[in-house]
Amino acid sequence: MRDITLGQYFPGNSPIHRLDPRTKLLGMLGYIVVIFLVKKITVFLLPALFVALVTYLARVPLSYLVRSLKPIRFLLVFMFIINLFMVKTGDLIWGWRFIEITEGGVYQAVYITLRLVLLLSGTSLMTLTTTPIALTDALEKLLAPFGKLGFPSHELAMMMTIALRFIPTLIEEADKIMKAQMARGADFESGNVFRRAKSMIPVLVPLFVSAFRRADELAMAMESRCYHGGEGRTRMRVLHFAWRDAAAAAMFLAMTGAIILVQALWV
Amino acid sequence: MIEIDNVSYSYEDSGRAALSGVTLTIKKGEFLAVVGHNGSGKSTLAKHLNALLLPTEGAVRIAGMDTKDEENTLAIRQKVGMVFQNPDNQLVTTVVEEDVAFGPENLGVPAAEIRTRVDAALRAVGMEEYAARAPHMLSGGQKQRIAIAGMLAMEPEVLVLDEATAMLDPRGRREILAIVSKLHDEKGITVVMITQYMEEATAADRVAVMADGKLLLTGTPREVFAETELLRAHRLDVPAMTELKERLNAHGAGLTDDILTVEDMTDAICRLLLKN
Repeated sequence: MRDITLGQYFPGNSPIHRLDPRTKLLGMLGYIVVIFLVKKITVFLLPALFVALVTYLARVPLSYLVRSLKPIRFLLVFMFIINLFMVKTGDLIWGWRFIEITEGGVYQAVYITLRLVLLLSGTSLMTLTTTPIALTDALEKLLAPFGKLGFPSHELAMMMTIALRFIPTLIEEADKIMKAQMARGADFESGNVFRRAKSMIPVLVPLFVSAFRRADELAMAMESRCYHGGEGRTRMRVLHFAWRDAAAAAMFLAMTGAIILVQALWV
Repeated sequence: MIEIDNVSYSYEDSGRAALSGVTLTIKKGEFLAVVGHNGSGKSTLAKHLNALLLPTEGAVRIAGMDTKDEENTLAIRQKVGMVFQNPDNQLVTTVVEEDVAFGPENLGVPAAEIRTRVDAALRAVGMEEYAARAPHMLSGGQKQRIAIAGMLAMEPEVLVLDEATAMLDPRGRREILAIVSKLHDEKGITVVMITQYMEEATAADRVAVMADGKLLLTGTPREVFAETELLRAHRLDVPAMTELKERLNAHGAGLTDDILTVEDMTDAICRLLLKN
């Protein structure tokens, strides 16, 4: 229970790991947009090549990418089947009473599935190569300009940092409370969903009480360490863009340009 | 360094006076232990030392600065570092070195300087190998060492430990005590240690005993722990060797009052044996 890894960070020191987290965050956002620009199955080859290249550079094992698809495997199957039977354009391939599979349906099903797979594997490449804390820093920096409009970017980042810090602590504590309740005869495993949910109440109540006490003490500790909001605060680790980030941006733009060009000229 | 001048404090919600008329001066470079059992006001006193609590009556001055003046709050908190009881609830970030950097970052120290301070602070508590670890993977004693490093990185003059060893195992307690003594001896940091453990108090230059929000007595550990009856009347323990001395004396051993440590006791017993 103590060895809890948050997110799915794959430790490493590859060029991709060493990219500025802001580059990766912006890259991921751009990548999502680009995936939605693709109109034809064949054009998916370009972002697929891009993902393959980044995976190779990051030295992330392919199994990790496949694993990131696991949570959406049912969604993938569901989307495939729905599109296969619902889309009725083009020639009929196979039909039985009202169930019909058309050429358009097959195309659409493959297209949607590919798009989802590429979307997820591409975005999880970012979380695989960036620590949650680096992402928090990137988010704070990127949102800082909105501070002038009253957007609390520092506060948001601090909240995320504290959440990341305390999730393992609270999980450990929940585990401890559950064991203490089990020692006194509590049963968390049997019964239906509602029964099991109800049996969690005696765990959640002490957990909440303790979380509030922790928050109180943490606030006091932070205050005594001169915390007074984001104003006038410096950072030990300063983010800065390097040539590596320019190279990454160029790679990304090349892929985007290629997609737009290919779609405009040939497809 | 620290002047506590006739301070009284009542908590708003209970109205109970947690401190009443405490006057105490802590000199620069001193190692003061404050003992007292639960509810004696010792933790309330500690929180007055860096303006976490402000006196209802009287005044607390740190290096001449009144804690009531809000302008001084940050300067006071930089000068007086505070380590709390629960090691889990005072570390803010997910990486050890970033946590140590938290204080200096708040003070607006330039990045390069923070780096040197963090490295030095981690070295001072012997945790430099753990710089890149996650706090939740460390033991209680190690977390408290990180908390102390976090204070050192702010370059304070006073270190207040508010029952910092209460939740640790004996080994962690010894580690923390050794580090604090070293910081006091080598860097001349003023130490105020709030504790329930009388054994820890024997390491201090001076002991202040609190009971019912009042200062009961102050003096060197030898002077204070010679007052066994007064301490017992206020439900306070005495160090184990003091206890042993009393029991031996009950059988007519005739040991003197100033025995505090195991070494004192062995010396005294050896002398006694030689005499017979």
